[in-house]
Amino acid sequence: MQYYKTTRGGGRYIGQTRNFTVYSDSIVPPIRVEKKPSEILPGELIFNYGPSTGGLIESVRIALPTPGEMIRSVAVDPAYKLRKLKLTGLSLFDAFMRVERINGYHSSSYQAAFIKAAEDALLIGDNRGIDDGLVLQMELERIRSHLNVLERLCEPAGFGVPYHQLAQMREEVARLISSIYGHRYFFGVHASLQSSPKISPGLTATANGLKKRFALLFESLQSSKIFVNRLQGTGKIEKPWLVGPVARAAGYRHDARTDSPSLNYEGYGFDPVVEDGKDAFARFLVRGNEILSSFAIVDQVISNGKPESAGLKDMHGTGIGASRVESPQGDLFCYLTLKDGMVENIEFCSPSISNIIAFELSMQGNIFTDFHFNWESFGIWISEAGVEIE
Amino acid sequence: MNPAFLSLIITAAAIPVGIRWRKASYSLVIAGSIVLAVFTLLGSGDLAYPLSYFSLIAAIAWILISVFSMTYSSGYGKWLTPLFAMTVLGMMVILESSDYVTFIIGWEIMSTPAYASIGLNKEHWNAAYVFMVFSEISTVFLIIGAILAVQETGTLDFRFQSLTSDLPLLLIAIGCMTKMGITPFMISEWLPIAHGNAPANDSALFSATMTLMGVFGIVRVMLLSPPSLYLGFFLLAVGVLTVFFAALFAYVSENMKMLGGFSTIENNGSILAAIGLYVALDGSVLKTYLLSVILIFALAHSVAKTGLFIGIGTTRKENFSEIESRKSSTMTVGWFLVTMSLSGLLPTIGGLGTWMLLESFFMGAYQYGLIGIASVVAGSMIALAEGLASASMMKVLSFTQVHGRPGGSMKSIEGYVLFATGSVLVLLFVLANFLVRPQFISGLPSVLVYNGFTIQSRFSAADFGLISPLYVLAIITIFAALAYMIFDRRGGEPRVVPRWNGGVDFDQYYTSFAYASNIRLMLKGILRTRMRDGNRQMSVVDVFWYAMQSFASGYRRFARQFAYRVMNSSITWYMIYMITAFMLVLILAFVI
Repeated sequence: MQYYKTTRGGGRYIGQTRNFTVYSDSIVPPIRVEKKPSEILPGELIFNYGPSTGGLIESVRIALPTPGEMIRSVAVDPAYKLRKLKLTGLSLFDAFMRVERINGYHSSSYQAAFIKAAEDALLIGDNRGIDDGLVLQMELERIRSHLNVLERLCEPAGFGVPYHQLAQMREEVARLISSIYGHRYFFGVHASLQSSPKISPGLTATANGLKKRFALLFESLQSSKIFVNRLQGTGKIEKPWLVGPVARAAGYRHDARTDSPSLNYEGYGFDPVVEDGKDAFARFLVRGNEILSSFAIVDQVISNGKPESAGLKDMHGTGIGASRVESPQGDLFCYLTLKDGMVENIEFCSPSISNIIAFELSMQGNIFTDFHFNWESFGIWISEAGVEIE
Repeated sequence: MNPAFLSLIITAAAIPVGIRWRKASYSLVIAGSIVLAVFTLLGSGDLAYPLSYFSLIAAIAWILISVFSMTYSSGYGKWLTPLFAMTVLGMMVILESSDYVTFIIGWEIMSTPAYASIGLNKEHWNAAYVFMVFSEISTVFLIIGAILAVQETGTLDFRFQSLTSDLPLLLIAIGCMTKMGITPFMISEWLPIAHGNAPANDSALFSATMTLMGVFGIVRVMLLSPPSLYLGFFLLAVGVLTVFFAALFAYVSENMKMLGGFSTIENNGSILAAIGLYVALDGSVLKTYLLSVILIFALAHSVAKTGLFIGIGTTRKENFSEIESRKSSTMTVGWFLVTMSLSGLLPTIGGLGTWMLLESFFMGAYQYGLIGIASVVAGSMIALAEGLASASMMKVLSFTQVHGRPGGSMKSIEGYVLFATGSVLVLLFVLANFLVRPQFISGLPSVLVYNGFTIQSRFSAADFGLISPLYVLAIITIFAALAYMIFDRRGGEPRVVPRWNGGVDFDQYYTSFAYASNIRLMLKGILRTRMRDGNRQMSVVDVFWYAMQSFASGYRRFARQFAYRVMNSSITWYMIYMITAFMLVLILAFVI
């Protein structure tokens, strides 16, 4: 490991993996916290939501102890439908093919975390020139992911027109990704040296057109009192351990793009988007503004020339590596042990775990009608939280 | 001898009999009540309309409660029955009284055994004391009011006579309002019932008929008093305030008897508001109409409240959360009709009472001026509170008959008594034409509603609104039967669909507490909703009781400080205090 210490430094808390507590500059033995089952007070009932119900796009069971109307506490069980993925004993290439499917919608982030951890383990420097390519992937993914979250925020508010406009933009971004990488979810992008990105001449114009349309829609949503009232004051949370857009909406400048050495964002003039509202509206603003800043980064990467792919089949060796990248949901950490090119141990710390805890805390004292707005504002993905990596 | 005194003798006999023979005692109370009802119907009483009908109302309630008590009261020791009979006797004395002294004696005979009954079955020590304190406060006001009324005559004749001042009515009304649980004395009604762990038959007796005596007392003196705009407005305002707060507190009550207690207060508030409008008006058709409104509403309240507490008694529980579902067709129908009546819905006497009450206030708008404005505001507030009252009753119906874990058993006779009570509510609705003053009975022969079948609401020669109870019942019955015959194609076989609970096993039941939490949160400023208070996530307080307690404890602190700091062993200050107090008493005596 080139960047992470094994003794506690002064870095911020990121989360837990199976065997480690992860900080922004170190990994140390895990802190075991027993989650107490929620007690039921007189007159209360547990309102069960999921795992198979409308309004949720993934299988998750949510238990809401409530005295009626007001949600006293929330217990999210992302492991109700637990997936198991076996990665140990596989070659780097074979493991990669599974890693990018942990959370297919954000495969690019997982690809980047895995590749950078492998490079760290094998002491490969960033002189291969693949960082630009990974940045382009991740920023396109961020745009699509944030569009998806904003779209999902419009749905419970009954904002049909912006909902469908955002859905259309999301689809256009997916097609843009498909035209560059041959797959709308980036699958197999780094599988072979031949699969290099195809930057067409009209790409910049298409991206700029999308950016302008989004900026207009984003502004009009902010001027809608009905929409803003739904989000303002809903699901407030402010904790130093928050990650990603949730942290930045609470006034923290936490962003792996600026405080992680894994992926080089220098030279893009990037500065984290920060809001201080701490609520669902602040998270909406952070995501909306990050879409605009991601478009700016995409524009710069394209202007710099043709980005490179990783070429995993050429990577062999033994070592221990770790990486941390900024996925659309927040810090994504990967710990990887390689032995003769085979995966001996791999652990992920996904941001949705942190976001689920934040959601549970932020929901306390809110009412049922706020539930969907708050849930969607965290951009939680159960696929990366309800998975067991073996 | 007034033949109605026979009812007093029979009921008095029930007291000693009740110590040894419980069922015989209740049978004697029933017999006494029947005698009272019969003589009332035969017109033996010399009381003016609508006073004579109060005996009929009370008798119906006592008969139903006594039948229910025969099986219900077996587990409450030997004193419950004689105390019950003595309370009824006290009320009979009140109803038969023709002078203030007898009235007050009856009042005390009614209150004292009720206090003992609460004390013997206490759950919290303060319930019986609170009941007695407010009872005695009411007696004090009644005595002062009676003295002032007699003083007006210039003799020592204590018989009820016409009055020239509204002051006796004000004082007697306050005395009766204390007993009726009117704002701010709501505690006097709900605490003894809910926290005193009063048996359900006593709860029914207190709520249905003891508070009726308060109404009777006010109406008794009201009919003798001159119109008074300010007193009328005072009673109207207090009544409306009571209706709103009591309906609100009933809705959020988790204790079933407390809900019943607040429902009683809400009904009494409605009656008081009608009384207020009556007192404010000076000679009009509307004033006469209001007498019928007071009678019909009091009748509906007393009989339906009897049913409500009988129903609560059948559960053998105090709180909604403890109820085990007991399915019985007769009981379900009884519950349905009782809650319909208390919700102010047709075809029950409660529906008619609510219609007549609201009509009064909307007609009051045509009196214009201050009375017009006050009527519209009062009518709107009462209509709002009626909505909350309906929601409370739906809560009762839902959590006794629909929700709840299966199990439990019941004595079938209690189900039949509840069914009988519900049926009486429908029967009274149909027969209401005989209870309303003849000048408000008419018909519309052109549409086959014959003369005598329609009750009018009117404040002048022309009618304002019309209702025909028999036709309403007939239409509802015919259309319900038609719908049943046309759409019930499964031959009575219920269709059951398994519940979907997000894909996991069903192990949770909706709670009555959750049912009312929307109001707890929306009106937290009024209800003083507190979070995580004790073992509850949310709790509310009776703001008036809270204010009284705060005032009392503040005064006690002040008195203690005053005694310690100023009067402590200081003969000078003590003398100043004595002289000042003596002068103040003299001044007050002179002014009054």
